[in-house]
Amino acid sequence: MIAMDKLFLTAVGKFDFLLEKAGVNTRQLQDILRIKLMMDNRRPRTLFSKKRANNTNVNNPWLVTLFTLMMGLFVGMLLFFGDSPLSGHTFYFTIFMILMCFTLVTDFTTVLIDTRDQFILLPRPVDDRTIAMSRILHITIYILRLALIQGLPGIIMVGFADKSFLSPIVMLVEILEATFLSILFVNLIYLAMMRTVSPQRFKDLISYFQIAFSTLIFAVYYLLPRLINLNALKDINLLAHNWSYFLPSMWISALNEVLIHPSRATVVIGLLALAGLVTPVIGLWFVIKVLAPGFNRKLMILATSEDSNSGTVKVKSQLKQDFRDKIGSVVAPDPVENAGFSITWKLAARTREFKMKAYPSFAFVPIMFLYFTLSGGGQSVGEKMSKIQNGSSYVFLFYLSFIVLSSLLGNITMSEKFKSAWVYYALPIGQPGKILSGMYKALVMLYYLPFCIILGTGMVIVWGPGIINDIVLSFFACLVYGVLTALFIVKGLPFSKPVVNKQNGGRGIVSLATMALIGLLGYGHYVLAKYELIIWLAIIPVAALYWVMINQYKKTTWDDLESFEDAETIEKPKKIKTKPLIQTK
Amino acid sequence: MTDTPLIQIRDLSKSYGEKLVLKHLTLDIFPGQVIGYIGPNGAGKSTTVKILTGLIPDFKGQVTVDGLDMSINSLEIKKLIGYVPENAELYDVLTPMEYLDFIGKLYNMEEGMLHDRAKKLLTAFGLSDNINNRMDTFSKGMKQKVLLISGIIHNPKIIVLDEPLSGLDANAVIMIKELIVRLKEEGKTIFYCSHMMDVVEKVSDRILLINKGEIIADGTFESLKQNHSDTLEGIFAKLTGRESSGSEADAIINSFD
Repeated sequence: MIAMDKLFLTAVGKFDFLLEKAGVNTRQLQDILRIKLMMDNRRPRTLFSKKRANNTNVNNPWLVTLFTLMMGLFVGMLLFFGDSPLSGHTFYFTIFMILMCFTLVTDFTTVLIDTRDQFILLPRPVDDRTIAMSRILHITIYILRLALIQGLPGIIMVGFADKSFLSPIVMLVEILEATFLSILFVNLIYLAMMRTVSPQRFKDLISYFQIAFSTLIFAVYYLLPRLINLNALKDINLLAHNWSYFLPSMWISALNEVLIHPSRATVVIGLLALAGLVTPVIGLWFVIKVLAPGFNRKLMILATSEDSNSGTVKVKSQLKQDFRDKIGSVVAPDPVENAGFSITWKLAARTREFKMKAYPSFAFVPIMFLYFTLSGGGQSVGEKMSKIQNGSSYVFLFYLSFIVLSSLLGNITMSEKFKSAWVYYALPIGQPGKILSGMYKALVMLYYLPFCIILGTGMVIVWGPGIINDIVLSFFACLVYGVLTALFIVKGLPFSKPVVNKQNGGRGIVSLATMALIGLLGYGHYVLAKYELIIWLAIIPVAALYWVMINQYKKTTWDDLESFEDAETIEKPKKIKTKPLIQTK
Repeated sequence: MTDTPLIQIRDLSKSYGEKLVLKHLTLDIFPGQVIGYIGPNGAGKSTTVKILTGLIPDFKGQVTVDGLDMSINSLEIKKLIGYVPENAELYDVLTPMEYLDFIGKLYNMEEGMLHDRAKKLLTAFGLSDNINNRMDTFSKGMKQKVLLISGIIHNPKIIVLDEPLSGLDANAVIMIKELIVRLKEEGKTIFYCSHMMDVVEKVSDRILLINKGEIIADGTFESLKQNHSDTLEGIFAKLTGRESSGSEADAIINSFD
């Protein structure tokens, strides 16, 4: 257990008399919190890092601390952004709270809705209040630990800047305020979801919420600096805009203004500071009294419904099945290929983990397009947008849809339940390439084509029907890229490999080469875009190339694929020794 | 064995949505009994177990354990019960010793005694070499053993076992069977839920057969045998309407024609 956790537990212990009055078993509370914090330190975190199943360093709390400190230092510079400390603190706490909420949503959802608790804690003599309080304190300790580490550079920076001992203390209070408000905000969203939907649907919604939030962060990170004028932001007078009164970050920074720069504080600022102090208290009371018990009850339903028959998921209607079968019979007429098509379609449409990885790529396409086209100085955003609308850069927008294909193909072989893929190896399949081509076609028909239709329709609305030939050509060019990727990089059957980030240097080069190819194709297309007839004619050879490539893909043999044993070898983890709790003789 | 039931279930009903899983169950379980609780999938076994162990608080009817009402004194009841769930639900980033230390403390066990007992139990279950290894590297059988230990570490009056042999090797199965017999000799009341008929037949001194949320047979193996069939499998098949398994097999074979 790291020193900070011990400090938190000691701090919680100081409130034992209050907690006992509220009916909490403080001894059990300490035991539960201690074990939860120990597990947190051993749990891989997702913020700023991808899941690295085989990387043992990822759990090192010191590395995480260092990284969080650096992040805090970077964000801390915002404190001195703008015309006054009020603006600087508002910008700082806006980002600070977004990061806290993001952490709560991404890293902490598993803890927040961990139904194992219902089987481990509930059969023991632990009362509801103790469990509810342990959950709230666990969340608070977890996020406070992170908040304090992240806020430490800011605390030091304001201390030096204001040359005052009071400034760091006020900054600490501001960090606590921001943290409590973030917890309240995420809890409110989760509770609202739990109250309105079924437990199973809740899980799905949480996943979609995570995707939406991550995508939003991604979009803000890439696009915001290009869409807003930072110089204008520097001179902004927040108090002149009424909407700013509703920003929690504004309430927080108002406290700093009242206590550190009282000569500048107005009545409005004083009221905002008061709102900042009162809201977390009311919020915490609301969380403990109203949200937490409801949350536990709902979690219980979530846990028990998983085992009961009530959670049976109905498959899609007969009409939709017929639709899938009809498409399958047209695009994958060979029986083995059709089987590959059908199994991929069904699994890809129903597997939450796959969808969670694939869906964000749909949003990345327009975001990356705007990121690239809005880059470069000298022009305003309006001028740049006008240039996009009147030029041929739309070609790149469609070519960027290769990101979707890459994401689909990169994840289609991986599954938590990869061992179910034994069936491919046990069946008398002479040519796995047919399964693979069925897989590829299913991904195209289920996800890529609908995405292209939506994207293409949007493009036609913006740029007019004259670009239809460009859309068709780039669609086939991307399909060629997809088959190349599948041929040289995807070395497994659908959902047949464990979820690990196995780096392979050779494939990295192939991956870069295929991306360079699609880049070249895109650039060539861009240059020739004004020659309409050439574009129409170019569709024929590119479509033919796709046909040749997919037939080549069909010829993939067992030797070209990784064996089932390989997958099993990757999955088996090494034994992890930990420091003994007690010394064994 | 006394005449006062240790567990009393009266008119117990439970539904999930519109589906009634338990239908007005009434049952007395006496101290020292080993109850073999059997039934087909979806019959209501797990739901009964979860209500008995306080996992499902919203049910209709009355459940009393050692004179304590489950709706009012679930906490006191949980102190009397040791529960081993079917699935290996445990915090597997912990070591077995850390996990047992945590569970023991929730039962308010004295630390020295807890560590001593945990060590002895882990050794007895053949896990002494893995005491300080994280459980996420364990096999299903090893995890199941840790679960079993966590269910008995506080020396409970009642032990509820939900498919405890799942994932265990043959030697471990023999050991658990022997353990159940020894726990019975120690005066423990055991509620043993399983699909393994041969084990139920051997270790239980009372068998309860549940089907579609209702108890359809209740008695010793000998008494059930007299009324129905020579084997528990046969009794099970007859009472749950699967007597015609031979004709089902015929139908399967005939489908190749």
